[in-house]
Amino acid sequence: MVGSPVLLIAIPLLAAFLIPLIGMIWKESVRLIPGLVLAFMLVSSASMLLYVTNNSTIIETIAGWQAPWGINLVFSPLTGFLATLMIFLGFIVWLFSYRFKRNVDFEPAKKYFIFLMMLVAGAVGIVITGDIFNQFVFIEITSISAYALTAFYTGRNSAEASFKYLLMGSLSSSALLIAIAIIYSQLGTLNMADIADKMYLMPTGYKITALIFFFMGIGIEAEIFPLNGWAPDAYTEAPGPIGAAFAGIVVKAGVYAMIRLVFTLFDIPNSMQFLVVIGLVTLIVAETSAIKQDKLKRMLAYSSIGQMGLVFVAFGIGTAEGVFAALFLMLNHAIIKPLLFLSGSYLVFNSKEKKISEVNGLGKHMPITSLLFALGAFAIVGLPPFSGFWSKLSVLTAAANEGMILIIALVLIVSVVEIVYYFRVVNRIYFFEKSDNVVVQKPRINAMIAMLILGSIILVIGFDPDIVSIYLHKASHDLMNTREYIDNVLSIGQSLTK
Amino acid sequence: MKKLIVILLLAVTGYFMVISFMDLGKDGPVVKNGVKDFYLDKTVSELKVANTITSIVVNFRGFDTLGEVTVLFLAATALGGILYKKRHHVGERSVLFPSSTIVKAGSKLLFPAIILLGVYVFVHGHLSPGGGFQGGTIIATGFLLMLLAYDNFSVSHKVLSYIESFAGIFFVLFGLSGMFMGKTFLENFMPVGNLNDLFSGGIIPIIYILVGFKVAAELTGLIYTVLNEKE
Repeated sequence: MVGSPVLLIAIPLLAAFLIPLIGMIWKESVRLIPGLVLAFMLVSSASMLLYVTNNSTIIETIAGWQAPWGINLVFSPLTGFLATLMIFLGFIVWLFSYRFKRNVDFEPAKKYFIFLMMLVAGAVGIVITGDIFNQFVFIEITSISAYALTAFYTGRNSAEASFKYLLMGSLSSSALLIAIAIIYSQLGTLNMADIADKMYLMPTGYKITALIFFFMGIGIEAEIFPLNGWAPDAYTEAPGPIGAAFAGIVVKAGVYAMIRLVFTLFDIPNSMQFLVVIGLVTLIVAETSAIKQDKLKRMLAYSSIGQMGLVFVAFGIGTAEGVFAALFLMLNHAIIKPLLFLSGSYLVFNSKEKKISEVNGLGKHMPITSLLFALGAFAIVGLPPFSGFWSKLSVLTAAANEGMILIIALVLIVSVVEIVYYFRVVNRIYFFEKSDNVVVQKPRINAMIAMLILGSIILVIGFDPDIVSIYLHKASHDLMNTREYIDNVLSIGQSLTK
Repeated sequence: MKKLIVILLLAVTGYFMVISFMDLGKDGPVVKNGVKDFYLDKTVSELKVANTITSIVVNFRGFDTLGEVTVLFLAATALGGILYKKRHHVGERSVLFPSSTIVKAGSKLLFPAIILLGVYVFVHGHLSPGGGFQGGTIIATGFLLMLLAYDNFSVSHKVLSYIESFAGIFFVLFGLSGMFMGKTFLENFMPVGNLNDLFSGGIIPIIYILVGFKVAAELTGLIYTVLNEKE
């Protein structure tokens, strides 16, 4: 075995408890340790991903009790891919914000880095756990870190945004707990593979009730339509890099939890159509709202919600091709949206209102940041030769193969809307005159490196999508094969039962 | 009109919830032999722990407990962070009222007893009802009583955060040392002893004592932070 999935959770937890102690002696450590931990996680997760792509899934038991009695972690091509993606983004966000807040108090800086690290660890936990209650615990860890990071600036607006998020989040946690209770009361087990194995025994009424509660509980993190009221406020009020972390990490974890339920745990035949409908509604509502926004981060937040809608549509197509398209879309969104948030937060760095009109003419004064923002905007609307093109193309071909003409039409129409509002901003950056009262903020070197890494990934995937498609094909195969997942987890359980 | 729609929607949801929960579990679970029998059996035969709940919380689902401890840690840290800006004048209470002599004298008497009870509850977590979370909360109520009775009573934030951090670190380290001994994370690697002895159950009582310390320190810190917050 090449590594141990449990270390991806245990090491950040250990570091989170250590940082307050070491921080008393050596203040710089509160910035350094999270970066080292994230780098360790990235290396370990990437090497395990290479291993599972070529060999079998890594399944780790905890406390020595095999599934279904104990908790187990499943590092498969799908979960490994998502975990590596999240850790990578966590590292980029850490790099971006390494020097930010240097002249601010020690205490808030310490908390910022602890919460950032726990946000990543919690999201990785949501993805790699094979136990439904354990997933609930990790959802709690992730959301509490997210509430705290939203309220980081301790102002009136950020407190309001955080409180809104907190209220919705607590409500959703209760719904999630009810759903888990229903399942446990009927099937007497909490292990995902075991539940999936026994799900056919459960009466349909309970099944649907449980699934509705699950959707309520996880939909908040996944930003599906009626439950995403927190997102625009939280994205706007949180610090810039945290918006990137929400779009790249928290939302991805929510989407994973949702599709794991629909594809593996529940065998309700019409839930795929439900995903398509809910995805389309989310997509249309979010993109039409985005066009009306006059604040940059708010616009990006709505665009992020819309992209998640598109991901759900792609998953809802239900074929291996559709899953591949959805995963590709998730990968691209996780690279491009953080780039937009990071460069966008520098474009409106010194403005109070964060209005779109304040980016006028910055193309001449901040050439690289503006170029990166434009690159992100071109990539996310799906222009060739950038990475976003390939994912949108694969969604359309997957839909075309299933004969879902309506989906194709709607996705294309929404893409036009997307082009309108993104190009409006790019147009302002390059072809408008800069007003005098806008103060330009030069990005720091570490922030620049973080943005350049993301930008170059967009170009690399854009010119050669095959370097990622092998992992994505493995991952989509992994998600579609429920039987294999169940056998993988439970077979070691049966052979080693004492 | 908007409110009416909301109320109507809530009523419909509530109606269907009641309908669906009315007969939940009426016919019993569809799967009769869930994981519970295994837990009941292994708790006594292998872990030698008298309290099954403790063995489930700390051993079978110990990873969840580690997560829950972290949730508490994050919540306490977040509260400290949100109230941070307002706390430049530490040491003054937002609620100031003199407490009566009876409360003062009584709380002095009660304080050691409460602490003792809390310690008893978490040390005997594997033998009798209760455990780390409960014992820690009892200890924190003792500190709450002292903070309410004496307006000059103060707790050192530094000591609290030492206890908090060390308890958390040792929890993870005990889990990891199971791994280094060739077993799995959080697996018991110490001799289990005899059922119903104080020293039994391997690492289960040790972890529960650490949880007790951590919960006590965190809740006390929370109470202290909120009480000393100044507008």
